[in-house]
Amino acid sequence: MKNIVIGRYIPGNSFLYSLDPRTKILALLILMIGVFVIDHIMHMVYAIAIIFLVLLLGKISIKRIYLGLRPLLFLLIFTFTFQIIFNRHGELLFEETLYYSPVSIALAAAIGIFWFFTKRFIKFRLLYFLMTLLAIGTVLSLTLFPGTFATGRFAVYEEGLFMALFIMLRLIIIVTLSTMLTMTTKPTDLNLGLEQILAPLKILRINAEEIAMIISISLRYIPTLLDEANKIMLAQASRGVDFEEGKMKEKVVQIVSLLVPMFIISFKRSDDLANAMEARSFAPGRPRTRLHVLTWKRLDSCVLALSFLLLVTAILSRVLL
Amino acid sequence: MAIKFERVSFQYTSMDNKGYLALADINLSINKTGEFITLIGETGSGKSTLAQHMNALLQPTEGRVHIFGITVDDKTKKQRKIKLNPIRKQVGLVFQFPEYQLFEETVEKDIMFGPKNFGVSTEEAAKRAEKMIEVVGLDASYLKRSPFNLSGGEKKRVSIAGILAMEPEILILDEPTSGLDPIGRNALLDVFYNIHTELDKTVIIITHDMNTVYEYAKRVMVMREGVLVYDGDPVALFSKSNIDRWNLDVPDILGLTRDLEAKFDYKFTEPPRSRKALFKALEGMLK
Ligand SMILES: Nc1ncnc2c1ncn2[C@@H]1O[C@H](COP(=O)(O)OP(=O)(O)OP(=O)(O)O)[C@@H](O)[C@H]1O
Ligand SMILES: [Mg+2]
Repeated sequence: MKNIVIGRYIPGNSFLYSLDPRTKILALLILMIGVFVIDHIMHMVYAIAIIFLVLLLGKISIKRIYLGLRPLLFLLIFTFTFQIIFNRHGELLFEETLYYSPVSIALAAAIGIFWFFTKRFIKFRLLYFLMTLLAIGTVLSLTLFPGTFATGRFAVYEEGLFMALFIMLRLIIIVTLSTMLTMTTKPTDLNLGLEQILAPLKILRINAEEIAMIISISLRYIPTLLDEANKIMLAQASRGVDFEEGKMKEKVVQIVSLLVPMFIISFKRSDDLANAMEARSFAPGRPRTRLHVLTWKRLDSCVLALSFLLLVTAILSRVLL
Repeated sequence: MAIKFERVSFQYTSMDNKGYLALADINLSINKTGEFITLIGETGSGKSTLAQHMNALLQPTEGRVHIFGITVDDKTKKQRKIKLNPIRKQVGLVFQFPEYQLFEETVEKDIMFGPKNFGVSTEEAAKRAEKMIEVVGLDASYLKRSPFNLSGGEKKRVSIAGILAMEPEILILDEPTSGLDPIGRNALLDVFYNIHTELDKTVIIITHDMNTVYEYAKRVMVMREGVLVYDGDPVALFSKSNIDRWNLDVPDILGLTRDLEAKFDYKFTEPPRSRKALFKALEGMLK
């Protein structure tokens, strides 16, 4: 719970911290578009290398980025396997016939069950999971067992493998970029930056100030809500809720006992916040002056120009290569 | 020895990787029966953190806590060999902020929630709810109300009833009387005192009220910046030097008796610790 990094500002100092928030938001947008423009896996690898360099220059530890990615691990693995199994274009890289017989299916199931009960004792769970999958695959590909009633085919194609890697890298880059933005920008600065970037939308009768406020308040309250959830879990644990264990029915009760107080507290919090804002004469839509005024520095222009350059490179590489 | 802390330290982990040391090298032990302990200390000194170690909600990052024969240390949770849940039946902890735990539709169901989690039958749990709501000073009409429409003090009482209904061996209350009116506060303190005397259970109360400490407690612990700086007799705690050293408030009765002693150049053989005791002492003299 505590390790969720998305949306959390972490104090520090490096060039990323001294950039204007507008620069960072725009650069994020430009680079994201760039990442979507890229269509070749090698270019994606270059992109990752560049991100890596920025992380190094910005003195952001890789571990933090990893922590930010961890909640998405499941999604990453899912898209990866999906691509590998279902994308059947390009050259055939690997093929294996699977024989379904009562014995092999029982064995595979046994391995699965064994994994399910032993996974909690293993430190490297992901590795263990992959090894289990490998073991199941191996068992199914053996021809030893009698009574085969069906056969299947497991094949990995070049394109499938590349696409899988490609999508994974793209996801990683996007999350890394966003984490870098929220990690190095104070919520208030982020708010201000967004507001000014969205200001031209006034022509469309969209109130950018309000949107920026909504976004930044939401970001601001993510860690608070997590802390709150932690406290509620402790309070319920002291009334005998065992969040670690439980059957399906108990799980439902556990979740309800956590969610209901969460909602109540959130509503109360938003009420309090609204009152506090009103008590300080905040009126939505009315012009406000600023305590901190954003200043555009040469570094900002440089970073923005560089981002543009990268985007152009990405476009060119797609068109020309 | 029901609870025993052995060199316990606890560090809150925070995002910037600089942990916050909330408990530092704590040693203490608490008996299963016959203790009435108050735990005091400044805001942020680690009282709630300490209390949450007493029923294994938190596990020490260093050292060991023994609770009813179960040893809890930093590896306990990872290994998942020991079930921590039963400990919470034996050591009941009422949280400082009750809004964190109310969630059922009615007060009655909320009070029954704890006991039912520990395998008490629905009828028995309902019976306990009925009894406990009275014990904490609300009447039976509250049982059918929604816990969310209660006042802060009422919520507090309901959350206390919810823990009492679990019938724990040891009862820990984190600032149970904050936000209550003076009469309600004294009534509730009497309830805890009665639980202590009649059922001979150990009760631990976290409080900022020195009068509570002086009148009720047999033993007092003082926390300061994560360190347990005093553990012992409440009367000795309020000696002049300690008051200066730890910035303590002087209990009303103690201030009064000291003034009386100074004014009339008299020495109480046994300094009275409550209003009643003071009156009794004066009664003899005035007659
Ligand atoms: N979840 C948490 N994460 C990080 N630090 C925490 C957390 N909870 C408490 N702390 C810190 O640990 C210290 C001790 O907190 P604790 O709640 O135990 O204090 P307390 O003595 O109960 O104070 P109070 O009288 O205000 O209730 C505080 O300085 C607090 O900032
Ligand atoms: Mg506290």
